[in-house]
Amino acid sequence: MTDALSDTWQVILRDLRVRIRMPVFIFMSLFQPILWLLLFTQIFKALGGGAGGLNVWGPDVSYLEGFAPGVIVMTVLFGSAFAGFGTLMDIDAGIMSKMLATPVTRVSIITGRVIAAVTVGVVQAGIVFIVAAIMGVHVATGIPGVLLVFLLVGLLGIGFAAFSNGLALLLRRQETVMAVVNLFTMPLMFMSTTMMPATVNNDGVTVQILPHWLDIARQFNPVDYAVVGVRNLVLPDYYVWSDLWKPLVVLAAFAVVMVVFGTMMFRAKAE
Amino acid sequence: MSVIGTRGLTKIYNGEVRAVDGIDFEVEAGEIFAFLGPNGAGKTTTIKMLNTLILPTSGSATVAGFDVVKHPAEVRRRVGYAAQDVGVDERATGRENLTLYGHFYRLDNRRIRERVKELFELVGLNGYEDKMVSSYSGGMRKRLDLAMGLIHQPQVIFLDEPTTGLDPQTRVHLWDYINKLAKTMGVAVFLTTHYMEEADRLADRIAIIDLGKIRTIGTSDALKKSIGGDVVTLTPPAEKDEERQDFVKRAEAALSGKPFVTETKPSDGQLAVYVKDGAAAIPGIMQIMGSQGIEVKTIAMSRPSLDDVFLKYTGRTIRAQEGTQTTFVQMRRQANRRRNR
Ligand SMILES: Nc1ncnc2c1ncn2[C@@H]1O[C@H](COP(=O)(O)OP(=O)(O)O)[C@@H](O)[C@H]1O
Ligand SMILES: [Mg+2]
Repeated sequence: MTDALSDTWQVILRDLRVRIRMPVFIFMSLFQPILWLLLFTQIFKALGGGAGGLNVWGPDVSYLEGFAPGVIVMTVLFGSAFAGFGTLMDIDAGIMSKMLATPVTRVSIITGRVIAAVTVGVVQAGIVFIVAAIMGVHVATGIPGVLLVFLLVGLLGIGFAAFSNGLALLLRRQETVMAVVNLFTMPLMFMSTTMMPATVNNDGVTVQILPHWLDIARQFNPVDYAVVGVRNLVLPDYYVWSDLWKPLVVLAAFAVVMVVFGTMMFRAKAE
Repeated sequence: MSVIGTRGLTKIYNGEVRAVDGIDFEVEAGEIFAFLGPNGAGKTTTIKMLNTLILPTSGSATVAGFDVVKHPAEVRRRVGYAAQDVGVDERATGRENLTLYGHFYRLDNRRIRERVKELFELVGLNGYEDKMVSSYSGGMRKRLDLAMGLIHQPQVIFLDEPTTGLDPQTRVHLWDYINKLAKTMGVAVFLTTHYMEEADRLADRIAIIDLGKIRTIGTSDALKKSIGGDVVTLTPPAEKDEERQDFVKRAEAALSGKPFVTETKPSDGQLAVYVKDGAAAIPGIMQIMGSQGIEVKTIAMSRPSLDDVFLKYTGRTIRAQEGTQTTFVQMRRQANRRRNR
């Protein structure tokens, strides 16, 4: 057990060292979410609350405040969904088989990578969070809420980083993995309530915004659980502490299932 | 006591490719043991079974006192490995590469620092500890790769084609380190090669492997002696392939069964004739050729070399395949194979 922890720690250090030496990538992947934050809040400004606004997120909630939680989730999603690339690079460079010839605990090679990817993803989400705060987003639930936000996106990140590793081991080619990851990340985001709530309640009239089938589909979309969970913590009058258990349970289950998938693929396919 | 021992060790890929086909051999502590064979002979597959990277299909192997299937973790702790293609991380420094492996082998920080110092000296890389591996030359990477397999002072080190693709000078250096390992530190060295000279100069004993089978095992001298005399090589004046084949066929027919001829082997449009005493046999051979009207361009006599040994036991020359060894196409193929597993 202590061996597994020590090995995992060494793998994390190695991974983070490589990432820190290429800060360009860390900043490049921050560029997109921040751009979205700036751009979409301008485009959809009229959808938000305030004088003449449509109040999609509720009365007196600006579009920015309702949209920022989704962007924070997205940052972690995109940060972790490519975690499998490092594993593929190790395999192609012959590093993997050399490591496997040592007594290193097998799972540490995957768990270490997943944790490193999520750590970076969460730090990036933190930076996006700060940018959002500067733009005027306040977290209604305060410091405990912020910590819970990180827990939620951390669980989502673990799930996708592990999934990405499993996928990489299954598909073996960097180009294929790239294509598949792109294929699912974008739709997962658009098929959630990242940009629009499912229903809008305006002056007592409830309007269904998401088509019915999408409303059902999002019940199976971990990204949506994270977005809803984070939004509940950020927006005033949204949070109901007792509602938080659902995203937490679903995302924890998602993380566990994907870690099992990733480690199983690793045991089956790494050599 | 032998440090490596195998019994009927076999690997069949995908139910059809008999990559390693029932091999038996033993290696002693402090011995340098070479697997000599052409591309695709099963050398890498053998190493991967011995260092627990893949499971044998059948047969058994014991390494450093432990069965590779039943106690893989014990085996890993006691062996080192430098693969055919280096497995160093070029996005890290040499020291970082070595230190990571020190941790994987459960050494404490102080011991790791000591070993890093010793190993960089051993492989002649001192001064480069904190340089990024991306700035290392091919030879330096190969030496770092070797050092990474040695950090835990293993009883056995597996070196898969340790000098393939290196310039001659670096190759001689590496031979020195390998020799030092075995002779002053008592490490059993199992190496594979397709270079005759490497096997000849470096190895205490050589196993000739072809198509997954060990054809013969012995010291270089013993193998050469097993040919039993000299080799007389007959070359035809013809240039065309068919004519050369025809020459080989006719010459072989004329000479086989003659009392002074031990054996004949065609190779690349030439005929190798194994005889007890070359000097005495040449006039006889010339006379037979003349009486049969077979024109000979050159006739050469040599003490047997490992090439001749290889030819005798496999019916092929290793030279014929050597040219294709490290081509880009082959590297691509290996990368694909890793992927498709
Ligand atoms: N993973 C694999 N799957 C299928 N066939 C393989 C695999 N690895 C090696 N082989 C085949 O097994 C044989 C022996 O290969 P290998 O052990 O790499 O030979 P060598 O190292 O002597 O060149 C070759 O025919 C090769 O194509
Ligand atoms: Mg090989």
